Amino acid sequence: MLSGALIAGLGGAVVGAVGGGTTAWAMASSEAAQVDDGDAVDLNRSHPFYGTGHQGGISTEPQRHTVFMTFRLADAASARSLQTLLARWSAAAAVMQQGKPVGTVQPDNEVAPPTDTGEAFGLSPASLTVTIGLGPALFDGRFGLAAHKPAAFADLPTLNGDTLDPKFTGGELSVQACADDPQVCYHAVRNLARLGRSTVTPFWAVLGFGRTSAGPGQQTPRNLLGFKDGTRNIDTDEQYSKFVWVSGGDQPWMEGGTYQVVRKIRMLLETWDTDRVGNQQRIIGRHKKEGSPLSGRSEKDTPDFAAEDAAGEPVIDPLSHVALAAHENNDGVLIKRRGYNYTDGLDPNGQLNAGLLFISYQNDPQNFVRLQNRLGGHDLLNEYIRHVGSAIFAVPPAPEQGHYVAQALFG
Amino acid sequence: MVNHHSATRSGSRSGPWAAPVLAAATALALSACGSTGDAAKSAPNSSATNPNGVSTVNVTLAEDAGKDACSLDTKTVPAGPVTFTVSNTSAPGVTEMELLKDQRIVGEKENLAPGLDPVSFTVTLDGGKYQIYCPGAASEYLDFAVTGQAAATPTGTVPTILSQGTKEYSAYVVDQVNQLNTATKALDTAVQAGNVADAKAAYAKARPFYERAESSVEGFVLPGFAVDDNAGNLDYLIDMRESTPVDDKVGWKGFHAVERDLWQGGAITPATKALSTELVGNVGHLVTVVAPLQYKPEDLANGAADLIEEVQNTKITGEEEAYSHLDLVDFAGNVEGAQQAYASLRPGLQKIDPALVTTLDQQFQTVLTTLDGYRDAASPGGYRVWTPALRGTDAPKLTAVIQPLHESLGTVAQKVVSAS
Repeated sequence: MLSGALIAGLGGAVVGAVGGGTTAWAMASSEAAQVDDGDAVDLNRSHPFYGTGHQGGISTEPQRHTVFMTFRLADAASARSLQTLLARWSAAAAVMQQGKPVGTVQPDNEVAPPTDTGEAFGLSPASLTVTIGLGPALFDGRFGLAAHKPAAFADLPTLNGDTLDPKFTGGELSVQACADDPQVCYHAVRNLARLGRSTVTPFWAVLGFGRTSAGPGQQTPRNLLGFKDGTRNIDTDEQYSKFVWVSGGDQPWMEGGTYQVVRKIRMLLETWDTDRVGNQQRIIGRHKKEGSPLSGRSEKDTPDFAAEDAAGEPVIDPLSHVALAAHENNDGVLIKRRGYNYTDGLDPNGQLNAGLLFISYQNDPQNFVRLQNRLGGHDLLNEYIRHVGSAIFAVPPAPEQGHYVAQALFG
Repeated sequence: MVNHHSATRSGSRSGPWAAPVLAAATALALSACGSTGDAAKSAPNSSATNPNGVSTVNVTLAEDAGKDACSLDTKTVPAGPVTFTVSNTSAPGVTEMELLKDQRIVGEKENLAPGLDPVSFTVTLDGGKYQIYCPGAASEYLDFAVTGQAAATPTGTVPTILSQGTKEYSAYVVDQVNQLNTATKALDTAVQAGNVADAKAAYAKARPFYERAESSVEGFVLPGFAVDDNAGNLDYLIDMRESTPVDDKVGWKGFHAVERDLWQGGAITPATKALSTELVGNVGHLVTVVAPLQYKPEDLANGAADLIEEVQNTKITGEEEAYSHLDLVDFAGNVEGAQQAYASLRPGLQKIDPALVTTLDQQFQTVLTTLDGYRDAASPGGYRVWTPALRGTDAPKLTAVIQPLHESLGTVAQKVVSAS
C-alpha cells in the first residue's frame, strides 16, 4: 500500500483479490479534485453460502447495493411448505452467490418457461450475499413453531417518533441481497420470490443503491444527508461476539444467529439541503466534509462530549445525533449498522422520496429499542427524518452444506 | 384483449389452428352449457325418474335466516339423462348455478333472479361424484352423486387422451362464441334503441363470453388477411383497448369503444350505433372463424396460462375496463376460460403428473374462493365494480392468489408436449 492517507483518517484500501492499492486523495484545499479509488471493487469475488458460521451480509464487508424484500406467508402455507421454501431458498442462494443461474435460462423444450429469469446471466458473482430472516409472526402457532420462539424476539414496540406506514411495516420473512452489482441483487430477490410464489407473497421491498457502512479498510461512505455514516461501527471480532451474535440464548437454533432490525427512514432532503451547514453539523455532531466530531479534527477522533467552547457551551450538542447514539452515552452498547441509501423516486407532492434503509444487527433487540427511543424522542435530526417503515427478523446461523437455513426448527 | 398472436406464432393461420374442420363437438357436457335449457313452464315434479328415463333434480335458491341457501331435492340420481330445474325463489345474492365434475363445467344456468320462471337444462351423466356450485350461497358447493356406470376411464395412450381433450375444448370455445354472438346482438338492440341503461347491462352480460374464449385468440384472424394486418385481426376489432396503441389505419372500435361512449360519454350517438353494428358484424365473423379451429394440447396449456397472464396484466390493473370498471367480470371470465382449458387437459395430465393436477385444482379453487368474495348480485355482471379505490386496497390480495396459479399453469405445456 502506498502512503496514501494524505488526510488523516481516510485509510482507503482496495478490497478483494488485489489486496492493496492507493489512496489518491487530493489535498483538502481542492475539493473538486478528490478522487475516489479507495474502494475498488472486484466483481469476480464470491462468498460461500454454506459453512460460514454466521449468515453472510452481516459481518461481510458491505457491498455497494442491496435489494431488501419482506414476505408474508400465503393463507394455505403449512409448516411443510415453509420448510420446503427455506430449503429451496438456501439452495438457490448458494448457487446465485457463485454467480450461477437458478436452473436453466434456456430450456430445451420451447414451451417450457425458463427456470431462471436470466437478467444476471453472464454477470459476475459481485460478492453477492443472501441473508434470510424469520419474522415474529412465524412463531404464532400456525406452523408449530411457538415453542421455538426466543424470549427476546417479538415485534418492535411503538417507538418514540414512529410515523410508520403499514405498507412498509412488518413481514414474516425477509431477504436481504447485497452485491456490488445492483442487477445481481435484484436477480437474487426476484428469483427467490418466484421460487416462493405458492408459499409466500412479497410484502414490501426497498432498493438500496449506496452503502452507508464500511468494513475494515473501506472508506466510510456518506448517506443522503451528505454526512459520513457508520464511522464508529462494530468492527472487531470481540465486538461482534459481545453485541451481534447470539450466544447462550434460550433457543439452540439461534446460536450464532442475530436479530435484524430494518427501518425505512425517509429524509426530507429539500429542506435539509437548504439548511446552513453550521446547523447541519450541530444536528449531526460532526463536520460535514471530514466527518470528524465537532470536538476533533479527523474522522476517527473520539468525540469529546464534555468539550466546551469559549462561552461554556458544549461543542457537541447533547441532542445531536452523534451524542445521543454514542455508546459512551448508552451504557457502552453498540449495534452493527449496515444500511443503504434508497430512493423511491418522487412523492405525490413532487418531492424527492428518498432516505436511509437502516439495517442493524444485534443479539438483543432491546439494544436497538433503547437506542431508538432515545433518538426518536430527542434527536435534533428528527426535524428532517421520518421513520416510515419497520420490521424485525431473527436471522439464524448459516447452514452447513447439505442443510438449509433454520433447519433446526423443523426437527 | 390478448395481443400476442404476431409475436408468438410466426406461421399464422397455417399453423395448428387451421387444421381440418372438426366434425362434431364430442363433449356431451359442453353441449349443455348455458343456453340449452328451456324455462320450465310448469312446476317440476318431485325428483324421480320419469317414464322417459330422465331423472329430475330440483335446485332451489332461497333466502334462509339472512343467508342465501342453495338446496337440492335429491343428492343421488342414476346415470343417464338428468334434467336440472333451477328456481330462485328468494335469494338475491345467488345468480348462477353450475354442475361441476373434475373442474369441468358440465352444465350451468346464469342470470337467476328471484321471481323469474324456473329454468332447466338436461345433461347425460355418467356415474361418479359431481358438485353443484351456487356461488354466493351460504354453502357454495353441494355434493351430488350419480350412481351406476361410471364414464369409461380414458383409455388409450396419453396423447390420445390429450387429443380428446382438445376436441372438448374446441366445443367449449365454439359454445362461448355462439353465446357471445347472442349477447352482442342484445347489446346492439339496446344501443340502437338509444337506451343507455339497458346497453350498459347488456354490455356487462356479453363481456364474459369473450373473456372466456380469448385463450384461443391466436386463431381469431379473418381469412385473407396478413397476420399483422389489424383490419383482419378479430381480437383487435372486437376487444382492443384505448391503452393499446391505436392502429391509425383501422382506428379504435369494438367493445371498449362502445364502453367509452356508454360510461364516459353517458350517451349513445350515431357513432356509437355504428360501432355497435360493426361489432355485431365482427362477432359474426368470429363465429365462423372459430368453428373449424383445432388445437394441440400445448395450445390449451399456453392458452390457459395466457388467460391468467391477462388477469394480472389487464384486469387487476383496471386497464381492461377503463370506463366501466367491470374488470372483475372479465377476471372471472378469464379464470373460467383457463379452468375449462385446463379441465380438458386434466385427464391426460392426471396420467403425466398427478401431483401437478392436485396443485392446480387447489390453486384454481383458491382463486375462485377469493373471487367469490367480490360477488355482488346488484352490480352489472355480478361482481363488485373495480374502482380505483377498491383496486388500491385489494389488488395485492388478488395478485397473491393469481400468481401461484400462473406459475403452475406455465409448467403444463412442457408436460403435455413431452408426452405427445
